[in-house]
Amino acid sequence: METLNNKVQAHNIDPQKQSRIKERVADAIIGPLLNPALSIDVKNVTVSFPTAKGVYTAVKDIDLQIRKGEIVALIGHSGCGKSTLMGMISGMVKPSNGEVIANGKKVSGPGPDRGIVFQNYSLLPWLTVFQNIYEAVDSAIKTGSSAQKKKIVEENLKMVNLWAHKDKLPGQLSGGMKQRVAIARAFAINPSILLLDEPFGALDALTKSSMHVELLKLWNLDNREKTIVLVTHDIEEAIFLADRVVVLNNGPAATIKEIVDVPLERPRNKKDIVHDPVYMDIHDKLMGLLIDKFSIEDINDMKKTA
Amino acid sequence: MNKKILSLVYLVSGFAVLFSLWQIASMVTKGELPTPWKTMSVFFEMWADPFYDAGPNDKGIGVQLFLSLKRVAIGFGLGSLIAIPLGILIGSNKTVFNILNPVVQVLRPVSPLAWFPLGLAMMHVSDKATIFVIVITSLWPTLINTALGVASVPQDHKNVGRAFGFSRWKYITKILLPSSFPLIITGLRLSIGVAWLVIVAAEMLSGGVGIGFFVWDSWNALSLEKVMCAILIIGLVGLLLDKMFSLLQKRFTYAV
Repeated sequence: METLNNKVQAHNIDPQKQSRIKERVADAIIGPLLNPALSIDVKNVTVSFPTAKGVYTAVKDIDLQIRKGEIVALIGHSGCGKSTLMGMISGMVKPSNGEVIANGKKVSGPGPDRGIVFQNYSLLPWLTVFQNIYEAVDSAIKTGSSAQKKKIVEENLKMVNLWAHKDKLPGQLSGGMKQRVAIARAFAINPSILLLDEPFGALDALTKSSMHVELLKLWNLDNREKTIVLVTHDIEEAIFLADRVVVLNNGPAATIKEIVDVPLERPRNKKDIVHDPVYMDIHDKLMGLLIDKFSIEDINDMKKTA
Repeated sequence: MNKKILSLVYLVSGFAVLFSLWQIASMVTKGELPTPWKTMSVFFEMWADPFYDAGPNDKGIGVQLFLSLKRVAIGFGLGSLIAIPLGILIGSNKTVFNILNPVVQVLRPVSPLAWFPLGLAMMHVSDKATIFVIVITSLWPTLINTALGVASVPQDHKNVGRAFGFSRWKYITKILLPSSFPLIITGLRLSIGVAWLVIVAAEMLSGGVGIGFFVWDSWNALSLEKVMCAILIIGLVGLLLDKMFSLLQKRFTYAV
């Protein structure tokens, strides 16, 4: 009799859990109503990895709301957890605590609503430019004939001016061209969110500049409806592209140090913008946030003791 | 063009050194070892009619060579058909790897010739037993390299598959296999090399036909010229086989 009771109890969901489920259901219904334009909602997220030396916490207690069509830059020193935070939005990294909501749905893995441009292009070297994009489109877009998919590839390759190079292998392209292929691939699956992980880090300054303009052009062509999250360690790049710049503390256990608004008019002009007093203010502020005066004093201390 | 002439000069001088050392050795042994010239005349004599077949113990060098190559082709083919899928399985599944790795490590260092009696017992025919030995020979390098190739698909490429939601089949055909091709071909190249080494010894054991048998038969007939010719031929064929796979390797290696 007793064991039977236990069994019955085991099947009942405990009241605490039940209320939690109710809350979550309510959140899912009310959330989008309250905040219709919210594209990404990072809720109190922490990521820890077990390592040989114990648990390593990469980012801690991150809260970040990103509106639809907004361009947000994540900036911080190398190894501060920018890419980890990005990985959580893309679904490649699982949070140990908290959750990420993208397009009103909880992120549990990568999905076609979020296009990723990786740090090192990540094109498949044995596939041509065309095939690289086609295989992604073919996997991410479930409906449509192969002719329709080929058309999508063609449109996107023409958009980044690489149609003439469609039959080349990635190894035959320059760094800038490879990055354009990667961007075209991410755009081709028509995601509402675009995640760029240090996309221009490996490019020379001139190519980088023209890629910035090209990215904004694509964003404009799409009526500025795509949300773009960009990881970078380049202050000028962050200000030129973003509506808001999220500055992260140094890891481990990195948190958000400050979020800086960039209220510069669009379209922005690379040449003129640098003379804008607003630009200079933001630039100085970000410099101050990123280059700690303490670290400079540390160097002076070291010099004295040496 | 200059480079080609230069490499030809190197080739000729290399063989000039070999032939002079050979000539000296032949002079020192007072003719026990045939001179290069004598050997060469036998060589051209042998190739004048390579495909004659005058009964079980008297076949042309072309026939012998062809039969050996056929055995290697069958044995290497079967071995690869076993080794590549098994290697993919071992490389992609940690549990399978942990189970099979000790077995592979124990069997790999065994000389393939040790399997010959087992082959004879199972097949009853020495020809098939020889092929069995070649199957075993071509197993290990291919198996190990395939497993290594599959296990070391770069994280970047795996990420592409995850990010764009590749199906399992697409992942295998567009990422896993192309990424491991260079190592699989390295395995095949090593396998065919060892198979060609082993076939000579295996045919000395099995007798009957083949280039290995030809070497032993020529020794029994006290024709060291023919033995020397066979050595040269075995070397050249081995070089050709290796070149074939090195071309294949180049074909499947990509710049990132």
